[in-house]
Order: sequence, then C-alpha cells, then structure tokens
Amino acid sequence: MMSGEVQAREAMIATIVKKDFLTNLVSPRFAIGFVLCLVLIPFSILINISNYRDRMSQYRLDRDAAEKTTTEVRVYSTLRPEVVLPPDPLSVFGKGLSDQVGNRTRIWLGDKPFLAAGKTAAGDNPFLASFFSVDFVDIAAIIFSLLALIFSYDAFTREKEDGTLKLQMSNSLSRSTALAGKTLGIFLTLLPVLVFSFLLSGVLVLLSRDIAFSASDWGRIVLLFAASLLYLAVFVFIGILVSARSKSSVTSLVVCLFLWVLFVFIIPVVAANFAESFVGAASRDNLDRVLKDIDKAREEEISRALKAQGIPEGYSCWWCSTSEDGFVETYGDSRDEFENFHRRSMVSEPIRIAYADKRWAPQKAYLDSLARQADAAGAFSLVSPTGVFRAIASAVCRTDLAAHGRRMDRIRQYRESFVRWLEGKDIFRSYGWITPTDPASFKTDDQLTAERTGGEFKTLKEWEEWGSKQKDARARWVKLNMVTVAGDSPTDFPFLDIADMPRFEEPSGALLSGLEASVLEGGLLVVAAVFLFALGYVAFIRFDVR
Amino acid sequence: MFRVVVKRELLHNLYSLRFLISLALVIAVFAAGAASFAGSSAANLAKYRETQSQFQETMRGLAGQDATDLAVRRQTYTLKPRSDGFISDAKEKYLPNAIVFSAWNVFSFQNKSGTANPFLKRYDELSWTFIAALIVSFIALLFTFDAVSGEKESKTLALSLANPVSRATILLGKFASGVLSVMAIVLAGILTSLIIVIVLGPEGPTTALAGEVLGFLAVTALLAATFAAFGLLSSVIAPSSNVSLLLALAFWLAFAVIVPNSSVFVAKNIFPIESSEAVQKRINAAFDDLNKAAPPGSWMMNSGNPFLPQHELRANLQMKRLEAEKGIRDAYYQTMFRQFDRTRLVTALSPVSLFEVLAEAVSGGGYLRFRKAWDDMHVYQGQMLSFFKSLDAADKDSPHWYNPSENVSTTRKPVAFERVPQFVEKPMSFVERAGPALKFLVINIFVVSAVFLLAFVGFVRYDVR
Repeated sequence: MMSGEVQAREAMIATIVKKDFLTNLVSPRFAIGFVLCLVLIPFSILINISNYRDRMSQYRLDRDAAEKTTTEVRVYSTLRPEVVLPPDPLSVFGKGLSDQVGNRTRIWLGDKPFLAAGKTAAGDNPFLASFFSVDFVDIAAIIFSLLALIFSYDAFTREKEDGTLKLQMSNSLSRSTALAGKTLGIFLTLLPVLVFSFLLSGVLVLLSRDIAFSASDWGRIVLLFAASLLYLAVFVFIGILVSARSKSSVTSLVVCLFLWVLFVFIIPVVAANFAESFVGAASRDNLDRVLKDIDKAREEEISRALKAQGIPEGYSCWWCSTSEDGFVETYGDSRDEFENFHRRSMVSEPIRIAYADKRWAPQKAYLDSLARQADAAGAFSLVSPTGVFRAIASAVCRTDLAAHGRRMDRIRQYRESFVRWLEGKDIFRSYGWITPTDPASFKTDDQLTAERTGGEFKTLKEWEEWGSKQKDARARWVKLNMVTVAGDSPTDFPFLDIADMPRFEEPSGALLSGLEASVLEGGLLVVAAVFLFALGYVAFIRFDVR
Repeated sequence: MFRVVVKRELLHNLYSLRFLISLALVIAVFAAGAASFAGSSAANLAKYRETQSQFQETMRGLAGQDATDLAVRRQTYTLKPRSDGFISDAKEKYLPNAIVFSAWNVFSFQNKSGTANPFLKRYDELSWTFIAALIVSFIALLFTFDAVSGEKESKTLALSLANPVSRATILLGKFASGVLSVMAIVLAGILTSLIIVIVLGPEGPTTALAGEVLGFLAVTALLAATFAAFGLLSSVIAPSSNVSLLLALAFWLAFAVIVPNSSVFVAKNIFPIESSEAVQKRINAAFDDLNKAAPPGSWMMNSGNPFLPQHELRANLQMKRLEAEKGIRDAYYQTMFRQFDRTRLVTALSPVSLFEVLAEAVSGGGYLRFRKAWDDMHVYQGQMLSFFKSLDAADKDSPHWYNPSENVSTTRKPVAFERVPQFVEKPMSFVERAGPALKFLVINIFVVSAVFLLAFVGFVRYDVR
C-alpha cells in the first residue's frame, strides 16, 4: 500500500517534470537563452585563449631573457637568477588575479621577493588598463543566474494566471509533489544548457593548439562544473521563492531581475568599494621611505665595518662595473686593488643579506595590508551567491590571491636556498665573487704598466710622471693600450659554470590542492540552496492558488 | 493629446512596482557610492599631499644645491585625485597618473605604484557613471520593454488606438514618459549622493560642480533615451512581452557587459602596437650608432674641471642621445594614444561605452585629463628649460655646454626655490571637455534617432490585435 503510494507519487512527479520540461523546451526563452550561451561562452573562451597566447609568447621572451642574464655571467656577484612563471592554462576559464600580479621575480641578495613584475593585462599600452575584460567565469556567473531566474520566476504565478494550477491542485496531488516536479523540470531544462556550455568551452580548448590541459586541469574543470551547478541551484530556488511569494508573474519577474542585478553586478562592486574605502591599505610612499632609511642604515653599517677593518672604500680599477645589490665585476687590476675589492665584498655581502630580513618586516606588513583589503572585499561579496561562486572559481583555476601568495612564498624559499648555495660555496670569501682572474696570476701595478706599455715604462710611477706632463689627457691612456694583456677584459674569460645552482621548480598542482577554503564556500552555497528551498517550500504551501 | 498620453504613461509608471524597487535600489546604491567616496577621498587626499610635499622638498633641495642638478634630475609629478571623482572616476586608479620629467624632456608616464591594490581584482568605482551605466540602462529597458507588447496583452492598446490619437503620439508619449520616470529616479539618487558627499566629503559645493552635475544629468538623459528606444524596439518586434523582455535583456548584456569588456581584445587584435621591448631595442641601436659616430674622447669627464674641452663633446653626445630617445619614445606614445582613441571609437558601438566617454568629458577626468596634463607638462618643461638657460647664461663660471643628463658643464650655482617655475594642474575648460566628446555625442544622438525610428516603423506595422 505504502509502496504503491510512493510509486504513484513518483509517477506523478515524473509526469510534471516531463510536462514542464517540454513546455520549457519549446518556449522562446529556451531558444534565446540557448543562443545567448552559444554566443557568449565561445566569445569569452576565445578572447581568453587569445589572451593566453599573448601571455605565453611574452612568457617565452621573458624566460629566454632571464635565462640569458642568469647564465651569461662571469663572476658570482652578478649572478641573480630570475624566476619567470608561465601563465596557468586554467586562467583561460577564470583569469582571477593572473593578469594583474605579474609573473617575474628576480632574486636579490639585499631584498626578498616582494611584488612580482611583468606585463599586466594592458600589455604594452598602460591606457588599456582602464578597459576591463570578462572570462568564462564572469559570463557563467551572469548567464547561468539569469537563465535560472528566467525559468523559475513564473513557476507558480504563470500556472496560476493560466488557471492550470487550480486544476492541478484539485487532483490528488500534494503540494510537495508539485514543487518537486516543478523544480526537477526546471533543472532538467537548464542542465543541458550548462553541460552544453562546458562541453563547448572544452572543445574550444582542445581545438586550440596553444593550450594544453593536464588531467588534473580537466578534473578542476569538473569541479568548476559542480560549482556552477550549485550556483545555478541557488538562483533557481531564489526564483521559486519569489514566484511563490508573488501575486503575479510580472511582479515576480521584476523582483527577480532586480535581485539578479543586485547579486551579480552591484554587490561585488559595492564589496570592493567598501573594502577599499573602509579597510585601508598601507601607504606605498611611506613604505618606500622606510625602506630608503633601512638602505641608508645598511650603507652606513657597511661603511663602518670597512673603516673598522681599515679597508679603503674608494677604488681605481682597470676595468670594473659596480651596481646595485653588490654587483662588482673587475678585470686587469693590480693585486692590491683586487685584494681591496675582495675584502670589501667579504664585509659587505653578509651585511646586505642580513638587511634583507630588516627590509622584509615593513614589506610584509605592506603586503599583509593589501591582502587584508582584498580579503575584506572577498568576505563582503560572500553576501551574494555570485561572490561565492567567483571565489570558488578563481581558487579552482589557481588564479586567486591565495594561490599567488603560495607561489610567492615558494619563490622566497627559493631565494633562501639560493643564498644557502652561495654560502655553502663560501663564495664571498673567494675571488670568484668579483673576478674570474686566477689569484695566482695577479700582478703588481708596475708589472702591469710594463706589460701594457710594451716595456716603455718600467713602473707605474714612471708612467705617471710622464703622463702629468702630457697636455692631452687621452694620449696618456693610449700608451697604456700599446699591448693587449690577457685577462684585461671580460671577454677573455668564459661564463661561470652554474650547473649545480638550485633552480626554481613549481610543483605540478595536485587536483585538490589549495581548495580548502573553497570547501567552506561550497558549503555556504549548499546551505543557501537548502535554506532557500525550504523557504520556497513553506511559501508554496501557503500559496494562494486562486 | 501628447500631454495626455505622457501623463497617463507617467502615472502608470509611477504607481508600478518596478518604479518603487528601482527608486529604492538606485537611492541605496548612490548612497553606498557616496559613502564609499567620502570614506576614501580624505585618505587619498592625505596620501597625495604626502607625495606632493615630498616632490616639493626634493625640488627645493636640488635648487638649494645646484641649478644644473635641478635641471637634469628626473622627477615624477603625480596627478591630484579629483574632488569630483564621485561623478565619474573614469578608471583613473588604473590609468597613468604620474609623469616623469626634467627641464630637458618629458620622459614617460606611469601608474604610480600603490595607486591600486594589485591583490584586489580590478573593479569599477561606485561613481555616478558606473551606477548610471549599469542601472539606468537597465531600468530604462525595464520601463519600456512591454510598452507595446504589454498593452496588447492587457488589451488596452486597441482601445487607445480607437481614440483619435496617432501612433506617433502614443509611441513618443511612451518614450518621453519612460525617460522622465528614469530621470526622476536618477535625480533622487543624485540628490542623495550630493548631500552625503557635501556633508561628509572634503570639499563643499562649487559652481564648477553644479555645472558638472547638470552636464551629467544631460548625458544620463541621453543614455536613458537610448535604452528607452531599445526597449520600445524590443517591445514592437516581439509578439509577446515575455519575448520582448528577453530581447531587451540581450540588448542590455551586449551593450553593458559584452562590448565594453572586449575593448582590450579589439585593441590588441585590430590596432596592434609595437612591443615595448622592440622600442627599447631601437633606442639601444640608436645609442650604439651615436656612440660609434661620436669623436674619440666624447665620454671623458672630470667633475673637478667643468671647462675640460672633452666636456663639450660629451654634452653634444648626450644631447643627441636625448633627442634620439625622445623621438622614438614620443612616436611610440602617439601610437598608444591612437590605439586607445580608436579602440574607444570601436566600442562606441555600445551606448554604455558612449555614455562613459561622455561622462568622463563632463567631469573632466580620466584619459582626457591625463592628455591635458601631459600637454601642459610639455609647456611647463619649456618654461623650466628657458629658466635654466637664463640662469646658466648669467653664470661666468659655466662653459655653457648643455648636457641634458649630467651635471658637468653648466652652472653649479644654487637658485632660490621661490624663483623656480612650478607646475600647476589646471582644470579642463569647457572647450577642452566638449571638443573630444563631440563626435561621441553626435554618434549617440544618431543612435537614439535611428533606433526610435526603427521602433516607430515597427509600431506602425504592429498588429494590435
């Protein structure tokens, strides 16, 4: 008896589902919704594939340039590897922050990796930064919610207006059965649209030769599909609730559309604006000033240490180039001059490395304040299902702030291992830090003068005395270039062998890594869906079908 | 008769649910935007004052040291945050807002680091322009999408037409009342916002602000008219109000979401420009050529003796390098401006983009304002240069060999900071705002007329049964 009732109920639900599904399928809204997806989804995917292609070719240029500057060095003091990260293939679906945080980080001794550099969305023209762009996730957030509401806003009101609802209810049909049938009918109509949208984008990605998804990337697309389904459900239930609380279809429609604009377009923007206005970020000018002071303190400390050890700060070299962050490269000097360069670096570099930690404290505080503001915007936008969906989607596509933070943390760890590698070689104490010249072949000033002038002057002093009588300053130097001495110029030496230098390696992303927060956000959507459904159920029970 | 129609339609709108919800939503969002602006503008202004005072201090320090140091040092001038940013922020947060210059050249522009938070996904400022572009366009459609098809369904259309009233009058009446209802809502929102901004904000009301508010109302009315025309169009081409709603939504998605967001794609693929790396390569090549062609000894320098004869060669070489780089860079900047202008013209396909350009012109901000500052900076740089040259000419201890990059062979006397010309940002004049906006205005008026005409044609052929 009981099972018979259940069966009858199931049959009834199936009938309603079938009827609603078919009505929806032949309706103009299905056709227009389908066409919208057909136009907008490929539009967003193709634009982002083209964007990905540009970023990829830029990445290759940057990577090759970085490789060149890293490997084509002759002394260790100018060795600064640069980490260049390729764009994530998943950014084709949700670009998140990927086109505004940069992908290049040079490793310095006196500074920890702070903000990544690299071309942003604007590319070569900074004015283009004022144009925004959309991706699959944005389009999905707009279209799926709209479709969900368009199909559910008149779930009961239309049938009431047509008079068919009264007819239905006069049969031995419980309201919960009617509701279940209605809901399933709507889902059954929307599911093909959703599946179609994902399949279409998947095919476009497969057809594109520039982009290759790994198995775990496809797995993440499946997760994105699940999140979209959940998102869709929330809006279907919003539509049903509004429909059950409205007297007429027109009212229900107007309310639904305003809710749509509010949730999809307004709340995320209000959230970002409020975060920006009321959760202040630290001042960059202030940070720059603090860092400048720290740099000054470092230079003073280096200066003091040199004085304490009686090392002269000035130098006169045959060929040398010095630059920020302790770059020193020198050739063809006398033994004493080489020795001074060497002793200076031995003192300054450990201090420079120690000061990187002092710089890091204010830098971290600044980064934290930026992250706090961004997190506040994210938290505020959780008020809207669209905000939740976007948060999940960018985490799934590995383009959210958390993923960027993890990446920068790994690059900072890499810097530590690079510095350890240098220290392990005891390289600051080696002459290889400043010159590739073999210390055994160092010469005195007099020897060098004699060699370079082809024996015309025996000592440096002799040449100086002669030189002081010369009117033309240039003529003095001509004499010193009479004979080319091996080791006087950088090109006399090969590049360093840095085969054992640690390289930055990005771990291949596991399917579920970095999605801890998304589980909670997904749970939020589930709770919202269940809650809205319950409300809709209660509202429908009390719905006046007349 | 027209007035009767308008009155009837207006009352019909005023008593409708959509009017109430729109009003509540618009007032709420305007209030949120104004609160947010008031909350951040004081902080932004404080940050700017800090930057500006540092800029002044650097200049004062250099002037007290040495006039040549003042002339050759590259300095960065940062644009002031606008006090009327709540009308149209024009994405200034993401645009270049700092100009690098010396007395010899205006070098480059950049978006000052720290202007926008890179960890916060780029977003629209809740300015009047954003609210209007998004919501006014939406409610204008909402008031008109069922103007004809809805009346047909409620069977009042046939009745109306049975009276001695022309179809043109009816359509025009519906159009006018749609625009008027929307503008009533906008006006309420604007007043709310103005009260909040004036009470909480850093600056009081000015006549310039009043002019901008009126201008904004005018361009918003144009936006409302455009979308009302599109709403009427979807109303007369669809058989039922349901379908016309979907059509209206499709219009809205295309104009407010799709077209404005495809600008970067358009720019990069239809109007590509040279990459910055390639430009740098050309500059380096030009430098190499100059170095090769320079007479020997051109790089010699003795800071203790300005009159060292080689300093003249060095000054000549540095001047040639500056001119070579300036030529290449300025041409590159022109291609950037052109790319931006053309992209904007293509996106004028969408009335929302058109509106954003017009609102930017009304508030005198964004790209237009940057271009003006960039031009003004060139004028200022000319003044600085002639000021410096006159200082140098008066100094007997200077060899007068102009070296634009180094302090080697020109005057080394300090100069009183008060005498140094200062760069003052000037607000944009009416002509400067209206000039570039004129063609967009013409396009917009053409679009409204064309769409309304289409709607009229559709209505004339409309089967009212």
